[in-house]
Amino acid sequence: MIEGANKFQVFEPHSSTLPPLRPYFREFWRRREFSTELSKFSDKAEYLESKLGKVWLVLNPLFLAVVYFLLVTVIQGGRGQSGGFTTLCHILIGLFTFYFAQNTILLGAHSITSGGSLILNQAFPRALLPLSSAISAAKQFLPTIPIYVLIVVIGKLFFNDSSLPGLTISYVVLPLLFLLLVVTSFGLSLLFATMNVYFRDTTKLLTYIMRIWLYASPVLWQPDMLNGWHRVILYLNPLGPILSANSRIWIDGLLPTLSQIIACLFWALFSFVLGAYFFISRERDFAVRI
Amino acid sequence: MPSASKEIKSMPENLAIKIENLSISYKINVESKKTLKNAIMRASKGERVRTRTVEAVKGLDLEIPHGSVVGIVGANGAGKSTLMRAIAGILPPTAGKISVNGRISTLLALGVGFNKSLSGRDNIILGGLAAGMSKAEIEGQTEAIADFADLPEGFIDMPVRTYSNGMYSRVAFAVAVNMTPDILLLDEALSAGDAAFKEKSFNRMRQLCDEARTILIVSHALSSINELCNHAIWMHKGKMLASGKPEEITEQYLKFLNVGELPSSYEDL
Repeated sequence: MIEGANKFQVFEPHSSTLPPLRPYFREFWRRREFSTELSKFSDKAEYLESKLGKVWLVLNPLFLAVVYFLLVTVIQGGRGQSGGFTTLCHILIGLFTFYFAQNTILLGAHSITSGGSLILNQAFPRALLPLSSAISAAKQFLPTIPIYVLIVVIGKLFFNDSSLPGLTISYVVLPLLFLLLVVTSFGLSLLFATMNVYFRDTTKLLTYIMRIWLYASPVLWQPDMLNGWHRVILYLNPLGPILSANSRIWIDGLLPTLSQIIACLFWALFSFVLGAYFFISRERDFAVRI
Repeated sequence: MPSASKEIKSMPENLAIKIENLSISYKINVESKKTLKNAIMRASKGERVRTRTVEAVKGLDLEIPHGSVVGIVGANGAGKSTLMRAIAGILPPTAGKISVNGRISTLLALGVGFNKSLSGRDNIILGGLAAGMSKAEIEGQTEAIADFADLPEGFIDMPVRTYSNGMYSRVAFAVAVNMTPDILLLDEALSAGDAAFKEKSFNRMRQLCDEARTILIVSHALSSINELCNHAIWMHKGKMLASGKPEEITEQYLKFLNVGELPSSYEDL
């Protein structure tokens, strides 16, 4: 028996563009296990053909670290603090964080069009599909944190780098920052997933947008390179405040500034409300458009 | 998504499904390529999107009591599949109302949602979760579903891409009928497997019916409709043309098609 499912249901035209939100989110929460399992099975299917399997989750960020190590400390001649090691760490933590957002948005944007058969056969809150993508992206992101910490430890031990902070109180803000990153990325993935149903080249365009977005974000350059009114750029970018605050914690060992926290909260709320409104108001149309 | 409503109280308890003045229409984009590039090009020329409105279901009224097995017949484009999707809550009504009293399991196309890289067992779990079951519930039924699908030994743990079409269909059918739904919606799903599996699936549906569960079947296999159903409706261009005993409805439908009443034509239509 399908326990907990609604036994009585009435389907009628909605007078407004949004369906009743309370039952929607109740059903969304009740069926969250579908998202976690779908993510697990999707990852299993993806790594099934690979001999190294999930080891790639660790190897990918390691290779990325090696490439940027060569770029920053060898090719660039180790300019910057501690022979370029601080710059390397700033780039790596920025890249790992940005790639989480990128994966959430790209996988989420694909999730509705690639889950077309499920949409045609079953009734469920469609936002569970982008949520499943966000869970997969989080699983790819989480192994990067111990790898980053390992790189910092190696830097401190073998390169005598003293500029990077040890354990500081500012790390307690990281879970909040990650939560805001998840909400921002998930909101944007809902927006682009809806767009991709109507315009099938959205995901192709999105790969270029994400590349430009990376260059426009404080990942390959540092936030304090911007002075005066140029710093507005950091706040116009939905990921800018999170990446700046992230770098401040991991690289400078300082708590984020109040303006960074407010901007992070604003972009998380704005992205989620915009994405969720756009997605939920259109999702009844998906079965026709797929 | 389903919308909860207090109006359900107005639905008689003996009814599993009540459809009132249901109309479903939707706009389809006439453009061959739905791309941003085309949209921008069109906007630059000041052109509007060319759409066509499809009226799939028009003013349908239907009451289905618990324990009924209802067959739906009609030519392609009659609105049968749209009606099934609307009852399942997948497509929203444009006008009218659908009240459903019971948990629904759907099989609206064989094997949809299956990930061919995953094993049959994994797909059973995914199928159950998509239908709203918890993982613990579906894991408790996995063996029963695997037994019902009657796959050769070891196949249940092999990737679905190694399955034959028959095996693939049998797993999908087994998932849908073994979730002990209150209401089972089957769209062109009676052709799963060989004669022995067909007999087994018919028996399972009769068992569901004996347990006062409701089944709606869309099929072109008219003899199956006659054999399984205790009521049938004939849909044509979105409207219900006739409703009554399955034998009478399928006969009328056959006459309409000018096919005659040869026994073989019942199965092959």
